[in-house]
Amino acid sequence: MNKQIKALFILISVLILVCLLSMFIGSVLASPSDESGSRIIGQVRMPRIVLSALVGVLLATSGVILQGILRNPLADPFILGVSSGAGIGAAIALAIPITFTIFGMSSIPLFAFVFALAAVFVVYRLAYVKGRSSPETLILAGVAVAAFASAILSLIILVSGRLRPIYFWLLGSFSGTSWADVWNIIPYTVAGLVIAFLYSKELNALLLGEEIALTLGVEVENIRIWLILVASLMTAAAVSVSGLIGFVGLIIPHFVRLLIGPNHRWLIPFSALAGAILLVVADTLARTLFSPIEVPIGAIMSLVGAPFFLYILRTRTVGGKR
Amino acid sequence: MSDLALAVKEIVCGYDGLDIIKGVSFEVERGEFVGIVGANGCGKTTLLRALIKLLPVNHGGIEIYGKNLVDMKRKEISQKVALVPQMMEPVKGFTVSEMILLGRTPYFERFSFETEDDHAVKRWVIQELKMEDIADTPVTNLSGGEFQRVAIARALAQEPKLMLLDEPISHLDIRYQVKILKLLRKIRQTRTVIATFHDLNMAARFCQRLILMKNGIILASGKPDEVLTRENIWKAYRIKAEVRTNPKTKHAKLILLP
Repeated sequence: MNKQIKALFILISVLILVCLLSMFIGSVLASPSDESGSRIIGQVRMPRIVLSALVGVLLATSGVILQGILRNPLADPFILGVSSGAGIGAAIALAIPITFTIFGMSSIPLFAFVFALAAVFVVYRLAYVKGRSSPETLILAGVAVAAFASAILSLIILVSGRLRPIYFWLLGSFSGTSWADVWNIIPYTVAGLVIAFLYSKELNALLLGEEIALTLGVEVENIRIWLILVASLMTAAAVSVSGLIGFVGLIIPHFVRLLIGPNHRWLIPFSALAGAILLVVADTLARTLFSPIEVPIGAIMSLVGAPFFLYILRTRTVGGKR
Repeated sequence: MSDLALAVKEIVCGYDGLDIIKGVSFEVERGEFVGIVGANGCGKTTLLRALIKLLPVNHGGIEIYGKNLVDMKRKEISQKVALVPQMMEPVKGFTVSEMILLGRTPYFERFSFETEDDHAVKRWVIQELKMEDIADTPVTNLSGGEFQRVAIARALAQEPKLMLLDEPISHLDIRYQVKILKLLRKIRQTRTVIATFHDLNMAARFCQRLILMKNGIILASGKPDEVLTRENIWKAYRIKAEVRTNPKTKHAKLILLP
């Protein structure tokens, strides 16, 4: 117990530290004391940092949920094609600007959500035979759906004639973030985290296998559908503001599990924090590495994430076990 | 309330329309230790799975402590019946005591975590099974025999009235076989135990009653020496055997004939 609380404080401190650092470095070395500096920090960098942190929370938590509920260490919203599905939805919303707001929330996440769900449904139906899947089938199904989705995306881009905005958004980027984006995804972040946390007991029981979870009173089928919905919604919210950023949901839970073990009560908040840290750092690199040119953060994450994915594929053992 | 822990009436069940259990009826009294034996594929595991609703019953009914199984929610079942499966994989990163605490899942509420009660039950189980020395050991470091005890401890933490065990001693050495069986005999004092076995001598030695199955029906049921007869062994296993009595324990003992 003590160990976890201590680690929690360390992670929170690291998050605050990287956020502060990120605030001051960039193409302009901004200082909050002069007017233009404080405007850059307040209107450009701060919303961008907060948004990247929130997207990190969304993607990492979504990864934990998917890995737990599918009992598959390679599950990740990007690999499963959920992100690509969400991408189609968001691209459609961007291409035919039919944005509207529901209860003050932007329609783009909703579009993304519907298509993310469609993608996850297809992957699930392809990969699961009688409630079981091998990690390999799941990945293959995800790859197929992602390939299909990217073809559709290309079509949308061609037909809409809005190549640049959609294409750059797809590569994954936080440039041009405003506070409105932040307000847009806060409800999804908070609701998703709280729900995931409340279901950590069921996710823990699932560590013992589906049948044992059933004998422990867990309504596995209902909870699976419900939590897949939650993970898809979180992914869709992230994709709608930041484009396709892969591997966060894969890398983060893996490391956090090594750090504090498989108990979801800790795994969920720790992964959320670590995801936030990772994306703040990655985005800071994205905008400073080759300044003034921005590297898409999606590219940075794939550069790091893809080799890591192959590494897990080689060393992994089913269900996060020995 | 009746004294019956379990009443199984004419059940038929199986997988994908293929019936494995073809009309089985039996009753188990509270506090009994019943062994289910029979050749591979005779339906022992399928029967256990039906008893805890992992498998729907196509015909007939199951009553657990006077209540119809189909009317019970999973949560309710999980507070009354626990299953120790044939194979359970150790969860990497969990200690023995964390693993046992998972057995308290049926009692967790949506908006809270484990209570002091749950920890008390966990400590009681650890004490009862004399596992204090391995309580903080990672489960992945345990031997097969030790892990089987943890699997049983996890089920005991559910505080079930009825415990089902699928081949609890099949892949253990004889020291752990005896250890596990003695543990089950102790558990039986406060709850009902039903377990499947391959080792007929061990089953005869520790169970009060045996149910011998063949091809999804019950061939014989009763005290071990009534069930384990030369004819029954031949019918169930196609093996020629002689049944003697262990001179020390007076239990039935099989001698295989050439």
